Amino acid sequence: MKRKTSLPAVFLIPPLIVLAILAFVPTIAAVNIALQNRELSFPNSSYVWLSNFIDLFGDRRFINAIWISVIWEVVTVTATMLVAVLLAIFLFERASPRMQNLISILFIIPVMLPRVSAAFVWKFMFNPLFGLINYPIKLLTGAPIDFLSLPATALASVAVVDVWQWGLFFSVIILKLLQTLPPQPFEAARLDNAKTWEVHFYIGIPMLGAPLISLVFVKMVESLRAFDLIYVMTRGGPGIATETLDMYAFSQGFVEAGKISYASSMAVLMMVATIIAFTVLWKWVRKWQ
Amino acid sequence: MAVKSKSPVSKLVLAGLVIIAVFPIFWVFLNSFKQLVDIVSTTPKFFFTPTLDNYIYVLGRENVQHGLINSIVIAGSSVLIGAALGIPAAYAVARYPNRFSDDIQFFVLSLRFLPPVAVAIPLIAIWLDLGLYDTRTALIITYTLLTMSTIIWLSIPAFSRVPREIEEAAIVDGYGPYAVFFKVALPVAAKSLIGAVIFSFILVWNEFLIALMLTTSDAKTLPIIASEFTLLGRNVPWGILNASVIVLSLPPLIFVGVMSGFINSALKKKD
Repeated sequence: MKRKTSLPAVFLIPPLIVLAILAFVPTIAAVNIALQNRELSFPNSSYVWLSNFIDLFGDRRFINAIWISVIWEVVTVTATMLVAVLLAIFLFERASPRMQNLISILFIIPVMLPRVSAAFVWKFMFNPLFGLINYPIKLLTGAPIDFLSLPATALASVAVVDVWQWGLFFSVIILKLLQTLPPQPFEAARLDNAKTWEVHFYIGIPMLGAPLISLVFVKMVESLRAFDLIYVMTRGGPGIATETLDMYAFSQGFVEAGKISYASSMAVLMMVATIIAFTVLWKWVRKWQ
Repeated sequence: MAVKSKSPVSKLVLAGLVIIAVFPIFWVFLNSFKQLVDIVSTTPKFFFTPTLDNYIYVLGRENVQHGLINSIVIAGSSVLIGAALGIPAAYAVARYPNRFSDDIQFFVLSLRFLPPVAVAIPLIAIWLDLGLYDTRTALIITYTLLTMSTIIWLSIPAFSRVPREIEEAAIVDGYGPYAVFFKVALPVAAKSLIGAVIFSFILVWNEFLIALMLTTSDAKTLPIIASEFTLLGRNVPWGILNASVIVLSLPPLIFVGVMSGFINSALKKKD
């Protein structure tokens, strides 16, 4: 493989050109559209430069959407990692190897479902009339709780679905990682009469530091793709209680107004923010590995 | 390892976990065979007279059939293009490292950071201007970005795991670089590559936001059609909704089944 060959050029250049076109044309177009005042229902448009961006920062619904997005990101990433680590340790300690293999398969099912399906599955579960979650609540209190229509519980209920999908999946990955760790440090700690949680907290988790941080990174990227869940379960409601940035951009650009330039300026801000954040994070993650 | 204690409490917790993981899906599966009266009963019904009406209704609807064909054509084409371009690219990155390799890998990964809504909104305008809005072509091209980057990303490790000795032996036997790729690396890495290809298929099969924004009628995919069943009239047709959720979820579920088959056969060999 040391000889001169055309293979790398032939194999690499066409795909990279295609990828670059597919990635850069929409991004550049997004910036271009964001600087205009284009609307879907009018054919004419002209450049208004930064006025869309200036309007955004006076738009309270936009500020609300930033908050909801940040809350969503923090809550789902933290909850997913907590659930995944605790479940993995529990399975590692208390399940037989055969049971571990069976559960590994079952726990992957939720994350493979289309998000639209996952959202419907739980929309049925939360239903105040016949949702399974509401049967015990009705028995105890006499009245159902409409989780998805209450501002206080709507976002948390959607987050449950996200954690159901990703927390279970990550617990399988962490379980597999725990199985690959050398047993000696664990045995040494046990001989010193360390408790199970101490063994994992002080030895297991630190040994898995680098892969765990990679998982956090993956989840942060995936949490940005919550649109399907929120669209099916609450449509951003009640009111704007679950309206994330992509939901708001969608409704501005597509549903309510067709203000595609205004929506595009939001998209540009999201793009810049995520690319900066994830590039910095990624370089930082790589240093750890 | 310490002795694994299997107290009844931990067995109970295990059972609870399994129920949380799969029971919601199983419940939708049961409901999809129920008449409406059995679904909206005051207590959950586990025993009922099953009916196929929901499936007959769902599969008989023209827009569902149309969406199904759209989904198959769009996901299938974008995966084929993505694989044809992405698998060779991944091989070149894995086997012919150069000073750009790291940058190429980071570029491919960074495509995953792009918020889908940021891609979809400008594409509405672009496809409208080109007269391709709401066509399968537009979605196939857009999805190729997803499938290609995913396939490259997953195939690089697949090729890196192919033992170098095998490829070097082939070169000694007089194989050229292309023959090494097609006749040696590709077959040896086939299993992982198929996994990567199927995974990217599931990814675009499940995709929702971009399809929602780039289609209005002709090119609608199955997830969009399924999400619209809630809008049918004033009475929500719960049984039909449940059936459409099951139909939509079948390809990924089959994939998990196939994967678990792989895992089982791998385990059996070890015994």
